Amino acid sequence: MTSAELRAEVEDFLYREARFADEFLLEEWEALLTDDFHYWVPAGRLEGDPSKQLAYLNDNRARVATRIRQLQTGKRLSQLPNSPMRRVISNIEIEPRNDEGISVVANFVIYELATQSSGELRVWPGQAQYRLERIAGNLRMSAKWIELVTAHAGQRNLTFLI
Amino acid sequence: MRIEYQELVRNDRIHGSLLHDPEIFADEMERIFVQNWVFVGHESEIKNDGDWIRRQLGNESVIMVRGESGEVNVLANRCSHRGTALCWEHNGNNPFFQCTYHNWRFGLDGSLRGVPFPDGYSKPKEELGLDRAGQVATYRGFVFANIDGSAGPIDKHLGPAGYELIDRLCEMSPSGKIDLSKGWIGHRVQSNWKLWPESDSDGYHVGFVHASMSASTDTYYDDVAVGGDAVKSSRAMDYGRGHLELDWRPSYKKELSWLGVTRERVKEYCTALAERVGTDRADQMLWDGPPHAFLFPNLFLGETVIAIVEPVAPGEMIHRHTAVQFDGAGDEFNERLLRQTEAAVGPASFITSDDAITAERIQAGISGTNTSWSSTGRGWIDLSRGLHREKVSGDGVRSSDASDETTNRGFWYRYLDAMSGKDRH
Repeated sequence: MTSAELRAEVEDFLYREARFADEFLLEEWEALLTDDFHYWVPAGRLEGDPSKQLAYLNDNRARVATRIRQLQTGKRLSQLPNSPMRRVISNIEIEPRNDEGISVVANFVIYELATQSSGELRVWPGQAQYRLERIAGNLRMSAKWIELVTAHAGQRNLTFLI
Repeated sequence: MRIEYQELVRNDRIHGSLLHDPEIFADEMERIFVQNWVFVGHESEIKNDGDWIRRQLGNESVIMVRGESGEVNVLANRCSHRGTALCWEHNGNNPFFQCTYHNWRFGLDGSLRGVPFPDGYSKPKEELGLDRAGQVATYRGFVFANIDGSAGPIDKHLGPAGYELIDRLCEMSPSGKIDLSKGWIGHRVQSNWKLWPESDSDGYHVGFVHASMSASTDTYYDDVAVGGDAVKSSRAMDYGRGHLELDWRPSYKKELSWLGVTRERVKEYCTALAERVGTDRADQMLWDGPPHAFLFPNLFLGETVIAIVEPVAPGEMIHRHTAVQFDGAGDEFNERLLRQTEAAVGPASFITSDDAITAERIQAGISGTNTSWSSTGRGWIDLSRGLHREKVSGDGVRSSDASDETTNRGFWYRYLDAMSGKDRH
């Protein structure tokens, strides 16, 4: 049974992480990550060894730093201008782990407007699996894995923080 | 109304209507994707008897399947009874294909094997097999098909350059074999399919469209494709028949630049390669790397990435890619190729996502062009860069500076041949 306090703390963290991503607050978002953060969006289910698969996105901490740097250049055409976007998160399930970490699973839907080109409204439904850790009293994210409902179907540009 | 393609494809320019007109798109699906050779897949995707993959060739959904005697069959994904699609997953393994409508059953070669309550039929079963590609050819695992069988020999389609480009890629593998079975990633783009042969083989845009990549990470493209000196030494090649290359070899500033590592990091691979091809040749190959080339009409050889250009509609396409895996190079090396592919190509990549947005912006720009063939004053796309300085060799191969539009024009020359019937033998 997850305590009400822990649930409130985790939900606060997820909502903040979501807002930083939606609003392209890149430095604030990056500050939520641990040094060994792993970011993964496979082309199928969240299963198997990520290192053996070809994914949409499979970033270690160094590569996610590059991803953020590229967005910060002001020359990233696919995010010029940044997509107006909002996501909702729901169905949050929290599982504290023995080693102080916390596993969280949640559903999400992102609405993104492709203002960079066609103006199409793009909808990104899926499940996010987070791994949170407590560092110096604060929650940090050491993994964010995304299973898209459309994983098998191919994607439009995915150059925002999902 | 019959479209006069030679009016729309000129030596120095093309008309924008070629990129959005539905009638032209319908023509292309027939004249290029049915009547010509197209790339289907790779034999490593179907290693065992009964392994199949589903693929889209223009309007035609096909199944590429390993048959009972090990042969590669390319079959229409369409029951010969009522037209029901037989396969809807991306891939699988079956001993036969069974339609879910009336349980008609087909062999891996497409022959009709059985129907429920057969007394109702007087026709011979032989007349009711699945439609098959008229011609199928394989080279070093690359499978090509010509749906209607009328395109003439594959040798004429690929030509010496087509074979050489495939050789140059496969030879990079320690065993001489590559594997393309890591699955394909679909990048759905709101653009005409023909913008991708151009984008994949355009040497002019790299320093502009990909400026954010150069500014945020070390990339070998800075050496071979960005700035005056590099684009002078790299070459834009049109080998004829729509087969194109951006030849980076003269511009690499160090060995293994295309892999982004030093030899110490991939020692085992280098040793294994040298064991097969000899030290001197291996040293040269490790410097030169695999080709950056496009084979008409739908196959991109992007160094260690392979991509298929899949038309969907006049303003909609899929750029579908996979990572090359070198047979015999070891897991660590091949995982490096997976990570390199994820960085370079696809919806979330650092490179082709910006090509996608560029293609979508072109689509937005040209979709307003006048589609009246008689009104040719508006909506042209200029492709004249380097026309005055490109060189033509005795065998018709054109070459110029990598930033010149020699490759772009090469695609359209072959396109015009295909669309105006000159391609026919």
